[in-house]
Amino acid sequence: MSDTKFMQTKRGFLKTGLASVALTTPFVNRAWAQTVELTMLGWYGTAEPDMVGEFEEANNVKFVPKYYAGGDNMLAALAQNPPGTFDIIHTDAEYAKLLVANDLVLELDPNDYAFDDLLHDDFKSFAGHWDDSGKLYSLITRFGHLGVSYNKDVLTAEEAASYEVFWDERLTGKVGHFDWHLPTLGQMSLLMGNASPFDIGEDAWKAVQEKTLSLKPQVGGYFDFGGTFAGLKNGEMLAMVGIGDWVTGILERDGAPVSSVVPKEGGIQWTESYSIAKTSEKADLALKYLAYTMSPEGQVKTAQMLGYPGHCVTKAGRALLNEVDAAEAQRSGQVDGDPRDPITLINEGRISYRDIPVQQTLEDWNDFWSEYKNA
Amino acid sequence: MTLFLRTWLCLVAGFIFLPIFVSMLFSFNEARFPTLPLTGFTTGWYEAIFSDPDFWRSAKNSLIVSTTTAVIATFLGFCTAYTDYRYSFRGKSLFLAIILLPPTIPLIIIALAMLAWFSRVGMSGQVVSIIAAHTVLTAPFAMAIIRLRLSQIDESLEAAAWNLGASEWRAMREVILPFCKPAILSSLFLTAAVSFDEFTVSWFVSGLNKTLPVHVLEIVQGTIDPQVNAIGTLVFGVSITLVVISQALIFFRLQKAST
Amino acid sequence: MRRLNLYALTFRLPIIIWQTLFFIGPLIFVVAMSFFVVRNFQMVETFEFDSWKRMLSRDFVWDAYVYTVLMAGSAAILASLIAFPAAYCLAFQTSARTRQIAILLLIIPFFTSYLVRTFSWYTILAEAGVLNGAVGLVGLGPYTLLNTYVGTLIGYLTLVMPLVLILQTVTMANIDDRLIQAARNLGCSPARTIWTVILPAGKTGFVIAALFAFILSFGDFVAPFYLGGSNPPTLPILIIDTTKAGQQWPRAAVVAVIMMVTLFVIAFSAIMYAYRKRASR
Repeated sequence: MSDTKFMQTKRGFLKTGLASVALTTPFVNRAWAQTVELTMLGWYGTAEPDMVGEFEEANNVKFVPKYYAGGDNMLAALAQNPPGTFDIIHTDAEYAKLLVANDLVLELDPNDYAFDDLLHDDFKSFAGHWDDSGKLYSLITRFGHLGVSYNKDVLTAEEAASYEVFWDERLTGKVGHFDWHLPTLGQMSLLMGNASPFDIGEDAWKAVQEKTLSLKPQVGGYFDFGGTFAGLKNGEMLAMVGIGDWVTGILERDGAPVSSVVPKEGGIQWTESYSIAKTSEKADLALKYLAYTMSPEGQVKTAQMLGYPGHCVTKAGRALLNEVDAAEAQRSGQVDGDPRDPITLINEGRISYRDIPVQQTLEDWNDFWSEYKNA
Repeated sequence: MTLFLRTWLCLVAGFIFLPIFVSMLFSFNEARFPTLPLTGFTTGWYEAIFSDPDFWRSAKNSLIVSTTTAVIATFLGFCTAYTDYRYSFRGKSLFLAIILLPPTIPLIIIALAMLAWFSRVGMSGQVVSIIAAHTVLTAPFAMAIIRLRLSQIDESLEAAAWNLGASEWRAMREVILPFCKPAILSSLFLTAAVSFDEFTVSWFVSGLNKTLPVHVLEIVQGTIDPQVNAIGTLVFGVSITLVVISQALIFFRLQKAST
Repeated sequence: MRRLNLYALTFRLPIIIWQTLFFIGPLIFVVAMSFFVVRNFQMVETFEFDSWKRMLSRDFVWDAYVYTVLMAGSAAILASLIAFPAAYCLAFQTSARTRQIAILLLIIPFFTSYLVRTFSWYTILAEAGVLNGAVGLVGLGPYTLLNTYVGTLIGYLTLVMPLVLILQTVTMANIDDRLIQAARNLGCSPARTIWTVILPAGKTGFVIAALFAFILSFGDFVAPFYLGGSNPPTLPILIIDTTKAGQQWPRAAVVAVIMMVTLFVIAFSAIMYAYRKRASR
């Protein structure tokens, strides 16, 4: 009796086993087969199936990503891999100029892209994307705003409307940092009243450092991409410095009581662009992908990206997003006339574009960041 | 007293095995962010990894790296063990030190050293870089296993072979190698398992050719995702199979040798 | 002495070449690299003390150094103390067969990814996690364990506990039974037997176990990062920060050299101590 039963389970087991082998074979084949590979250095999630799957299928190509977090991290990845490793470089806009300065990326033809359709005039001539002689090297694709991200069970939106809230005693030991100097120090600089938070003199820089150090007793930890998400989600961290909807947006979709606001001192804009490595042997294909990201369909994908959401940069992209995913458009304020419309925020002068430090070096800021973490 | 000690032992064992158990448990749990109570049974995370081309790519790299590493490390380990067994010469302890030292140096330092060195000699970001690094890390284990086996050999055996007119090479082939076969096999499996699990050095030197543990590290860095638990459980299955085979080979042969 | 022939060289040369290329070479290069400088994102091979001066003059490097040594030291001591009763139980109060099985079981953790185990602890220790959920049922907590030094220590112990337990068990199982029997016959209490017989007889094993615990914790970046929230960072995190986020390999090399020297000194003293014969009275 039990024998036959055993045999049956065994057979059943074998069956499922065989079935799963059969099921996974196509995937294995897809992964191991010799297809054209496009390598991309990018932020986490930018080469996941939800972003590139459609393009991969249409062009019989496979993306091979190397993920990083933070521009300094990207520069290191470029320096630590042999030239020719990457075809496409997905970069924070403020680091694009370093790519150009070091002669790492291909010149692009502006006529290939719908620059007239961009949502804001600033985007058309975004700093660092063009060199002095007016040549284009980087293509703007998405953006988002950084402010105060907080747990709604503990803080109200009004309370979160100033960076000062990070010093609130309810948050002691519960303020988290995304482990990258630019966003946090930029916000501290805004809090200190610097109109251009990244272009500050020696005294102002000193003041920013002092203010930042005074936050130390509040700090619960310094997190990478995944840790930032988990910390907020689990309630380990009740507020986060230096991030915005790109983190809380995902958690909101997941039902967590978190949100982000652009506080009264102003917010910081992150802007992401694509460039093509000069050493790429598949520049044609890479160019095709760049064009795709600017197309309305590509724009919708960047707005919905599972890794972390962003805002469309083209009018056509925004229109299509409102059509196919009105909920996401509403949630993120990407609706013409919405008071939270990120474009409106820019027009109201409440947003500073994130930049690399102008009067200090990146190294100075990075150094201070190490010091702060160890303080 | 005995009761206290037993309880204590169980607590320590609990501490050691709790994370393994929890990880397996949550690999079948529905919720994306793992908390109690469990939200429901799913095999979704396994389906997710099986349908992820990235997983298969890194699995393939891991397979290449661990098998190649096992062969080279076992060869190196055998050469060292045999040299140690048969010869004594000046500088022998230095000779042994250069192969036995790596496990005492923190992986993070080895990782930095390898990264810098490989970029300097133009070998960075390739699968061979990971293999080279892993052979250095695992050769000591191979050496230890094979040396242990050699210490059981009857020293007159090899000498007898020479006296019967066999060349050193022939004696090696017909006496030493067959005698060491179980240890060599065991070492192959063990070094493969160690290499299969290593992530610090791989993370630094792998470039685009990431291995499975580096893939896990990237998932942990990128999102919080129970896929990690599922991959962990799978990798555990593979590693433990390798280790069990390796142990069984030693155990079985030792038993046979002693009878 | 035997003549050095082709046969002998076949077994020696590959090792020397391979280990020089892929072990000695990289290590020496790290030391050399600590004297290089970085200009315009490019490493220039010179001999300057820039990185050394800079790193040694920074308070935060020393803070991280002290913190890392203290934490790794605590992990080594804690692991030794916690493992001891368990190892004692395995060595003296179980059959050889049970012991063998126990050791086999203890090898298992070595082959589950340490990363996955850490991730698992993250789930367990989180404020909304398994542990706080459990103690919450009896009205306790929640306790903040993640992003504190407690989290880091738990991670370190996860890494080193199986090894320490195995080494201690083997050490004690190998102590000559007659010694212990004699102590007992002379009327020693168990505590006194441990103190006067077991500890001295197993000194080498205990010290080596603690030393390995120290080395492993000292070089681990996963626990202090994922369970300790990098708050504050340890030396390995400093190395990762300077290589992965900065471009400052020479400075990372300085940290690496400092770590190696520290380990060398500690390992050397520990081994000297472990093998020192007890002074005869």
